[in-house]
Amino acid sequence: MDANPSERDARLFRYIGRQRAPKENPRFVTGRARFAADVSIPGTKHVALVASPYAHARVKSIRTGAALAVPGCRYVLTGEELCAGTNAFLIGVDAPNVKRYALANGVARYAGEWVAAVVADSRHLAEDAAELVEVEYEPLPFVVDPELSARGAAPLVHPEHGSNVLYRRKFVWGEVERDFAAADHRAELRVDWGRSATVPIETFAVVAQWNAATRLLDIWASIQMPKFPDQVAQALRLPGNAVRVHYDVDVGGSFGVKRGIKHTVLAAYLARKLDCPVRLVEDRLENMRGGDMHGPDRSFDVAVAFNADGVVKSLRIRALDDVGAYAGRSPLQLGKPVGAIVGPYRIGSVEYEPISVMTNKTPQEAVRGFGQAPTNVAIEAAMDRVAAVLKMDRAQLRRINFIRKDEFPYRIPSGSSYDSGDYHAVLDKALAAADIGELLVKRDLIRRRGGLAGIGIATCLEPSGGNSAFEPLFNPKNETTTWMDSCLVRVDLSGSITGVMNTSSSGQAHETLVATVIGEVLERDPDSIRVARADSLCALPSNSPVGSRMAIMLGGAAAGAARKIRQTLIEIAAHNLGLPAQALRYEQGDVIAAGDPGKRLAWAELVEIAHRKFHRMPPGREPGLQAQFVWEVPTGGTLPGADGRVQMYPCYSFEAHVVLVEIDPLVGRPTIRRYVCGHDCGVKINPQVVHGMTYGGIAHGIGAALFEKFAYSDEGQLLAGTFMDYLIPSAQEIPQVEIVDHCTPSPLTTFGQKGSGESGYLGSPAALVSAVNDALAPIGASLRALPMTQKAIWEAIATRTSRHRRESAAA
Amino acid sequence: MKAAAFEYQRAESVEQACAALAEHGFDAKLIAGGQSLVPMMAMRLARPALLIDINRIAELTTSSEHGDHAVLGACARQQSVKQDQRLAARVPMLRAALAWVGHIQTRNRGTIGGSLAHADPSAELPLAACVLDARIVLRKKGSTRTVAGADFFVAPMQTAAETDECLTEVHWPLWGEQRVGCAFDEVSARHGDFAMVAAAAQVQTGEDGRCTRAAFGLGGVDAVPRAFPDLAARLVGSALAAQDIEAAANTAAGEIEPGEDLHASAAYRRHLARVLVTRVLSVARDRSRVSGANAQ
Repeated sequence: MDANPSERDARLFRYIGRQRAPKENPRFVTGRARFAADVSIPGTKHVALVASPYAHARVKSIRTGAALAVPGCRYVLTGEELCAGTNAFLIGVDAPNVKRYALANGVARYAGEWVAAVVADSRHLAEDAAELVEVEYEPLPFVVDPELSARGAAPLVHPEHGSNVLYRRKFVWGEVERDFAAADHRAELRVDWGRSATVPIETFAVVAQWNAATRLLDIWASIQMPKFPDQVAQALRLPGNAVRVHYDVDVGGSFGVKRGIKHTVLAAYLARKLDCPVRLVEDRLENMRGGDMHGPDRSFDVAVAFNADGVVKSLRIRALDDVGAYAGRSPLQLGKPVGAIVGPYRIGSVEYEPISVMTNKTPQEAVRGFGQAPTNVAIEAAMDRVAAVLKMDRAQLRRINFIRKDEFPYRIPSGSSYDSGDYHAVLDKALAAADIGELLVKRDLIRRRGGLAGIGIATCLEPSGGNSAFEPLFNPKNETTTWMDSCLVRVDLSGSITGVMNTSSSGQAHETLVATVIGEVLERDPDSIRVARADSLCALPSNSPVGSRMAIMLGGAAAGAARKIRQTLIEIAAHNLGLPAQALRYEQGDVIAAGDPGKRLAWAELVEIAHRKFHRMPPGREPGLQAQFVWEVPTGGTLPGADGRVQMYPCYSFEAHVVLVEIDPLVGRPTIRRYVCGHDCGVKINPQVVHGMTYGGIAHGIGAALFEKFAYSDEGQLLAGTFMDYLIPSAQEIPQVEIVDHCTPSPLTTFGQKGSGESGYLGSPAALVSAVNDALAPIGASLRALPMTQKAIWEAIATRTSRHRRESAAA
Repeated sequence: MKAAAFEYQRAESVEQACAALAEHGFDAKLIAGGQSLVPMMAMRLARPALLIDINRIAELTTSSEHGDHAVLGACARQQSVKQDQRLAARVPMLRAALAWVGHIQTRNRGTIGGSLAHADPSAELPLAACVLDARIVLRKKGSTRTVAGADFFVAPMQTAAETDECLTEVHWPLWGEQRVGCAFDEVSARHGDFAMVAAAAQVQTGEDGRCTRAAFGLGGVDAVPRAFPDLAARLVGSALAAQDIEAAANTAAGEIEPGEDLHASAAYRRHLARVLVTRVLSVARDRSRVSGANAQ
């Protein structure tokens, strides 16, 4: 889409980039939002779930008599009935025998998997009845270690698939062998990213209602899922137009995990079966164990080849990801990082071997960044290792290897072209804001007093504008090459503007985005613009807010539609003033003759002509004032080459984190003393929204780096199934964060914007790994397994200290 | 996470509460702040048939002072005790411990007696009661008895209270306000979490700086909170020098039998026990030598 050059210059924007309160704030702050659990339909029945206590077990029988005898209990649905009446879900890779349904199909493959659902008049009663469902299990051999799965030395999770490996391929881009052989130095390291997720306050919630007369299924659900209505219809064996998803419910947090196909299929099946509205709101235990919302669980073996001058020549990355017991879209989280596999660096060749394996654990789902945050930790840890080997300043090493601002667009070995950036400037800004000289003094003072302290530096990319290029990359049978989004803009007879979007939001302030963009193009106050959401039967195509894409894609679509409105208004004026369109200018809704301000038509008159006075409309124009725009992702539309080279996302935001961490050497507790994040996501549509996302992302990353893990026992039992054990950092653990903005516009987008929905999170874990290891370096210890809990840090210190003592004693 | 069905009764007096307990025994449970009981009921880990609400019993919220101890009603809210200036001066351990208890939202509801009766082995108030050897008053239909803090805690989540007894008040020994220092410290994963290890100490020193009275203990390291009166007695007469304190800490750490969980290994807990006992005894010593230092 051609950009209007004048729209590129942030100083010329009327509303974009201005400090304006997000449109959504009042309803969230005053408790007037409407979530799926607020949908209240008379006669609604409630679902509770019966979960398998075993990591792997055959369901031999389910006796429901006692449960059905509970007064108020209406139905007990077994896996056997449900699986016979629904189709298996679509999955991201070519593994047709890895079948998943909403309830276990004869075999429960992880502890917590739902084997039966109970429907009752209230959730209390449903839980009472669920306790009385008698399930007879036959425990089966199971696997919890992904390495065993990868080696084929473990019981099979899906015997029909023939292996626990879902996807494995070794990509070689460039002369990796040659570069490794020719480099002055080589280093190897291991990085382990623990199984964590986003764990939103709102668990998954869905209300389903089936109308047997109209044969229409209505769904209100807390979703963030591409192609959700189609997938639900497919599983329920319904035509697409028999499913109406209401996108106007607020979603109480997601950052990827609110996929909810199984919850929705379950509730919808029951609603149809029982001919009454059915509501399923997960409780926290169901959500953490059986909600299928765990994120990547990934080990990296990284080798890096580099020269004595600090130039990094090549990388080898083996990434083993444990996706749990079923596939879903999760294996694709190994695919997205292909688009930024060298980070912001001029690394000439890469070998990447993603391996996706199954184990008897809760299935993995998309989490903020779709696999990029763990990959960034691996890349950054390798850069720190290079600096350590060469005894080089870590910031300087990065400067040496950064792609320079005059090299864009820059194509990386795996095929993606980076749009723009000024990595040197952003890092320098962050270092200056952190006062790196002073920070070093503070660190060294702590060290001199006998403490441990470290500075962390991480410079990471946030690929944005999400397309789905990893789908055909990981599944040759899938030829998806568009990941469009869309917007409808309508101006009503009163002259009020409404922007209609076609998906739900989970806190990203899309209404602010759409109103700001339409306001910018039509030069009307965004506060006066209403943003509505079509339901899925009325909606234009959308791929939902994933992959940091909406500022680019929904913003671009809203701008495109608004421009059509503006053009129509100019043409109506041209026709009525008897002047060529080129002789007119558009100003805040009015159209004025360029040389004669007296000749003009005001907004209200133009709107009235469009709606009422067809005799004054230019010939061939449709009446009314509305326009739609469906936009394909910039640079999209191509399939991967045979070597796996592919253009992944179009835009690349950049962030540079600088932190100071102090560690109590006796206790192992890390305390973040300073946190600065330099951030460049191009032109910001709304700075408050971008900063909010970045603050939240950094907090989320601190959680992943220091606290959060869905730990499993050797018996395959989830040990962290409540907030007593799955530790989300609170305001007490999150330091004050200073964000330093920089703006390198993208040449590919309407206003120069890039994505920011995953900002902060894509760099903060890497920065903390960097800081903790800098702190541990003076005692010769290291720790590259996340989360770096107090216990883990203490063990790293204690092991090192006792070895040191032994060595001293031996000497 | 919905509680199983239960009956609810509001007791207007301790007598009423005791009568209901006597009638229903093991099936009944007293509820005060509900900060532990309600989540356990929601997860169906606790499923009392009857809840007896003692929140409205006025006599359980009073506090007073009798000779050598302060009396605190069982239903005193943790936050109001934490904010009580007079108590902070008289029993500084209370405020020191309460700073680590949950969050302000949970402290606003949570009660002193509720925390003791719940008897979580890593909780702060049970540790404080053990260290100071507070007296716990239990009343039942027709009789009242007093149990020493050290005897009250029997096992994790288990106390010496019989099923028909109601914890009515706690007597906290007064050490006087001169040359007394106290300290409470703990290591938890996050602020407000259950302690992996908690330590508390209170000492009194003479004009010459020597220890005249001492008490210390550990929480989270055993089935019940542990006080070490014998080790503390050995500190009396010492200068509370670094080596005196280290010796006490090392011996205490050797006497505990810490467990292992997701957040801390036994070795880590034992190590933390040593570190924290050293820290609280040192801080308490220093505070005893500076008047007013307990007021935090």
